[in-house]
Amino acid sequence: MVRRLLLAVLFACMCAPALAQTAPEVATDLPAAVAEEEIAVSSAYSGSYITVFGVNPDRRGRGDIVVVLRGPEERATIMRKRRVFGVLVNGDPVRFADAPAFFAVLSNRPIRQIASPQAIWAYGLDPAAAARLDSEVPPTADPSAYRAALVRLRTAQGLYQVHTGRPAQSETRAGLTMYQGGLFRAVVRLPANAPIAQYYADTYLFRDGRLISRQRVPITVSRVGIERRIHDLAVNASFFYGLLTVALALFSGWIAALIFRRT
Amino acid sequence: MIYLPIAEMPVNVLLVLLVSGGVGFVSGLVGVGGGFIMTPSLIFLGVPAPVAVATGASQIAATSFSGIMTQTRRKSVDWRMGLLLSIGGIVGSTLGVWLFERLLRLGQLDLIVSVLYLLLLAGVGWLMLAESIAVIRGRSSGAVTILRRPARTIAHQLPFRMRFPRSGLYISVIPPLALGFFIGALAAVMGVGGGFILIPAMIYLLRMPTNVVVGTSLFQVLVVTVLIVILQSTATQTVDLVLAALLMVGGVVGAQFGARLGAGLKGEHIRALLGLLLLAASAKFAADIVIPPAEMYTLGGGQW
Repeated sequence: MVRRLLLAVLFACMCAPALAQTAPEVATDLPAAVAEEEIAVSSAYSGSYITVFGVNPDRRGRGDIVVVLRGPEERATIMRKRRVFGVLVNGDPVRFADAPAFFAVLSNRPIRQIASPQAIWAYGLDPAAAARLDSEVPPTADPSAYRAALVRLRTAQGLYQVHTGRPAQSETRAGLTMYQGGLFRAVVRLPANAPIAQYYADTYLFRDGRLISRQRVPITVSRVGIERRIHDLAVNASFFYGLLTVALALFSGWIAALIFRRT
Repeated sequence: MIYLPIAEMPVNVLLVLLVSGGVGFVSGLVGVGGGFIMTPSLIFLGVPAPVAVATGASQIAATSFSGIMTQTRRKSVDWRMGLLLSIGGIVGSTLGVWLFERLLRLGQLDLIVSVLYLLLLAGVGWLMLAESIAVIRGRSSGAVTILRRPARTIAHQLPFRMRFPRSGLYISVIPPLALGFFIGALAAVMGVGGGFILIPAMIYLLRMPTNVVVGTSLFQVLVVTVLIVILQSTATQTVDLVLAALLMVGGVVGAQFGARLGAGLKGEHIRALLGLLLLAASAKFAADIVIPPAEMYTLGGGQW
């Protein structure tokens, strides 16, 4: 609760100056919804698709749509390998606070044609802009290289995705497609390694580089069935869970020894 | 494919069974827990490192217990020695878990673990290989092998001596306690059972006969890994029950086949095999910390 409050205050602090200079009156009435508001993680879970759809309220269809899917914010450390006496050592750690564990941005046009660099930074419309630097960067190092490394490493894991300026692709199915009458539909693949947490789908309507309207829709990813029971046991009754694991280990060892004695 | 509730990722069931079966086979053959192959294999499959370390311990516990069941029928566990080693191991691994957390916070855990692996595996592997090759050569040329066992080591000079009937030893209790402590601490830091260091140490330091070494080390490894599983479950909650079950099935079946084959092999052949294995593993660790990778940056967790 305190953490969430802190984040909210932080978010407000970060956005306030930007909001003041770009668009003081941003509406929050953009009609947008998510097809999968609740995603159930069972033992057969192997990732999911998330579909965000909505309508551009402008009758002549002016403006651009940006959809951002954000995972929980967490801390991350990036270290660079250095050679010390011929051996590679992880050194020069740089810390990031509020680096989203999952981040996907989708838009109908390349994001730099839609929003100004200031707006991209203020609203966190780019994976590099979403993470916040939280420590001193070593004097010899370049902070943007660390930021780029964070994005590169998370992109390689499929946790950061950029699908800007293109409709949904047939092979990945991810992308944002505009239809007649201002209807839009964005599809993102949520990989199985994305954390089980609360996600938010943020939809932004930009016109002439200015933010006109926005909408936030929560998406809950949670465990169900046996997955949930095991996880709850591990968290709420961890000592018992440890004993259970040990018992299982001894039992399987005993069974194996027994079976192989007979044969 | 099955989704792991704690690791939060799907894995291929057959692949995990195959890997754990292979590791179990080797562990049954030479009497090590196999953690030093299992943990890196799991990380290679994409399992987060803390989950791999903690869950691997439960698999080692299962494999060691199954191994002990087989070994006791061959009367090859020195219970008294095992108990002393375990007491040292319990204290050592508790300290080791604390040290593990410290190093993790400093962000230097990877390097320390790699260097430790490199030095220990290379040193122990070379020692075993050289020694067993000498024995095998000596035997094939018809020369008489002289038993070095009665040689007196420091274990015979220290106070608090105790009789170990099954090993035929009358030595101080300090070296087994210290050895257990050292192995326990090392095991917790490196995420392994520690059998691969314990076995040579028992042979060369304590001068225990080879036939009781395997069973006794399995006993110590069992006690330490059971403790680690419970400590990790309560402290870090990184033990994945589903993954553990998969590893156990593969591990114990493999271990049984390994133990069967191992019973038909000569001691020096087993040691030569283990020596080769350790040298191969150390070469991999050497490559990892010397050859620059394509990606010079690494992503760490949120601990600081």
